[in-house]
Amino acid sequence: MAETMPGYYGRLLDVNLSTGTIVKTTLDPQWLQDYIGGRGLGAKILYERLKNPGTEAFSPENILLFMPGPFSGLPLPSSSRTCVVTKSPRTSPKSGSYHGASTISYSNIGGFFGPELRFAGYDGLAITGRSDKPVYLYIKDETVEIRDASEYWGLGTDALETRLIADLGSDGFRSCYIGPAAEKMVPLASVLNTAARAAGRGGTGAVMGSKRLKAICVSGSGIPNVADPVKFNELLETVRSSFAQDTPSRRWWREGGTTNALEESSAGGTMAVKNYSEGSFGEVSRIGTAAARKEIWKRDFACYCCFLACKKSGMAKGAYGGVVHDGPEYETGSMLGSNLLIADLAGLNRCIAVADDLGLDIISAGNIIGFLMEAYDKKLIDRDFLDGIDLTWGNVEAVLAMLRKMGANEGVGIRANQGVRSLAREIGQGSEAFAIHVKGHELAGWNVHKAVDWFGISYSTANRGACHMNGGAPGPQNQSALRDSLGICSFVDEWYVNDSAFEKILTAITGREWSGASLELAGERIYNLEKMFNYREGFRREDDCLPERFFSEAGKQGPAAGIKVDRARFEQMLDDYYIARGWDLKTSKPGPEKLAALGITDF
Amino acid sequence: MESGEGLQSRRDFLRKLGLGAGFLIAGGQFGFTWFFDEKEGKLKAIVVDFSKCTGCRTCETVCAGFHAPRAAGSSVAAPVNPYQARIRVHHFNPDADVPQVCAHCADAPCIEACPVDPDPVTGRKALYRDPVTGSPVNDTDACIGCRSCARACKELRTGTIRPNPVTRMPEGICDLCGGEPRCVQVCPFGALQLADAGDAGHLAGLSPEKIAQVLMETYYSPQ
Repeated sequence: MAETMPGYYGRLLDVNLSTGTIVKTTLDPQWLQDYIGGRGLGAKILYERLKNPGTEAFSPENILLFMPGPFSGLPLPSSSRTCVVTKSPRTSPKSGSYHGASTISYSNIGGFFGPELRFAGYDGLAITGRSDKPVYLYIKDETVEIRDASEYWGLGTDALETRLIADLGSDGFRSCYIGPAAEKMVPLASVLNTAARAAGRGGTGAVMGSKRLKAICVSGSGIPNVADPVKFNELLETVRSSFAQDTPSRRWWREGGTTNALEESSAGGTMAVKNYSEGSFGEVSRIGTAAARKEIWKRDFACYCCFLACKKSGMAKGAYGGVVHDGPEYETGSMLGSNLLIADLAGLNRCIAVADDLGLDIISAGNIIGFLMEAYDKKLIDRDFLDGIDLTWGNVEAVLAMLRKMGANEGVGIRANQGVRSLAREIGQGSEAFAIHVKGHELAGWNVHKAVDWFGISYSTANRGACHMNGGAPGPQNQSALRDSLGICSFVDEWYVNDSAFEKILTAITGREWSGASLELAGERIYNLEKMFNYREGFRREDDCLPERFFSEAGKQGPAAGIKVDRARFEQMLDDYYIARGWDLKTSKPGPEKLAALGITDF
Repeated sequence: MESGEGLQSRRDFLRKLGLGAGFLIAGGQFGFTWFFDEKEGKLKAIVVDFSKCTGCRTCETVCAGFHAPRAAGSSVAAPVNPYQARIRVHHFNPDADVPQVCAHCADAPCIEACPVDPDPVTGRKALYRDPVTGSPVNDTDACIGCRSCARACKELRTGTIRPNPVTRMPEGICDLCGGEPRCVQVCPFGALQLADAGDAGHLAGLSPEKIAQVLMETYYSPQ
């Protein structure tokens, strides 16, 4: 095999928890060239290794990949990201012949874990198999050990973070882990680091729990080789000086981060409110940036080498005080706030803290609880169905009780944990219309009525099931796939332009000539490979849909009042999208010309 | 170390550096404390404004990069691992980030702990104070790798001195980049300053764990 490309180690750490086998697998340089790293390389590995459609997500055969990118760990601002890639325990096609069919899943996490994995000498980590007993993975450069985790099993993520710092030190190891929900294979369980930052979506934590892997603790003393250090340093200085400017945009991130979007989105009518029946929330200012700064936030925290520090932590006052946590940010604030009509900031902060401690995907959890609130409000279910919880709109105590049921996977929590699609099948009575999911994966905090052009496409076509980060058109979707593959944060595009554009930096790192066009092509290749994975599993055009509510009901408040999505228009938008993508209009399969142009081999 | 002999050797050491005249030696925590004379300039250190630090570790990357070896003929170092930095950000839960860096202690327990006899010509032990920046510097020819400096720093102060695992010689001592510290220039949040060593106030010279405890109590109280 050819020598590894600069900027990479060309090594994947392969750990099989059934056999205890630990292998440092050489990565094909062509895979690195074509799929970059991160989400893209993860998709390629999954596509090549899980060739039989219908592999159960919780089977030992499923692969859980932790994938930093070629930017991760280099001192580039906001180069902190890691993509967790696996086969989803959340999704399934409407029809099809494979029982275990599901989409690819990828969820992105910031913090310090991905850079550390690269410091330890790996471009990625692949976990297969299933351990007999709870274990954690200890990685210190070349030393890789599967260790007993019985002392950590059962701990919430907050206590676990404190324990790991006490056991491994405050300055050497960086860890990713699961909470109690994932241990019980709750499908919507997340992977976290720093007890707050989450690869929340798509059930990544549930897959980790199915392997009985509580934590991955990494420490590394190296760093990848860079092809052109002189050019790289020049680019680094350019990016840093660009970030050093006190611009309105930088102030927006530093002052409130995505929390600012709560009030902005409500004002625009694009917010998830009352289980997506409304797009604006009258009490949004009570959970917005100014309120959070005043009532809760004490400190701003940044991911690795980030100049924006959009994580805000503090401690609420009053009955819900006593817990230190971050948020609300946009997704946690909308899904557990406006979507449930909760405007009690301290109560909301406590709900977020409890959900993170249990290790639940807050987007799906908030969506599911919103669905149950509506079903309860409409008397489609009674209090017995809810184990006696009086799940009324805005009821913080009831939400906390539901979250605990879900985290413990008991009683009504077991049903809730299967997601809104499953609940609607069980409850019936027309509740499918307000089960807000695509492919079984719940929508996030952005409503569709007023923003179908962007979010309608983003949610319906996303390769992991409903996804708000996907992008509303092929170009932005490819760009998003690319960012997730480089290991750079989604929020910093505007600082990586012109003289310090991604392609210039990747060229300096790898020594291979990259242009804006070739990089976009790579993003397109990654997106199409994920699509091919899903197609192989049996997903078709009928699965690229939107919940019925957006077509048949309109809200009463704010800019979205009276607006429904026109079904014919949506189908036309999908047609246009498939044509732009070069995909078959009936089946949604990427066409042979497209596959050939991208160098993807049909299965 | 409490003996007059130590005191004497310090005074001699300073005199021989040509700085002695401006110094006052007073009783202190370890039997004596030094103060630079106002006219002579005070000891400087990287002082952290903990209310601004976000824990991003940019300081580590610029420090490690600045001190990294250059390839022959190149003025630029390839990226190096941030743990090679002399400043190191510790992370705690609940959220508190503490950059750990040499406090440039006036009484320098690290130098005090160095058991190597002062050189008869320069008056320097293996670990001595740089005459320009005031930073502790290790003379690798004289150092015997006993790790006394690291032990003193860990037990009494910040714990920033780390013995090299192979040579056992002290590493991690901030040299203020010769007077214009890169971390101060690049810190995205303005959390680092080159200031008088005493300006760190009641947190001066404390270990990251102790500082984190104070920060958590300050930030996170239910009232």
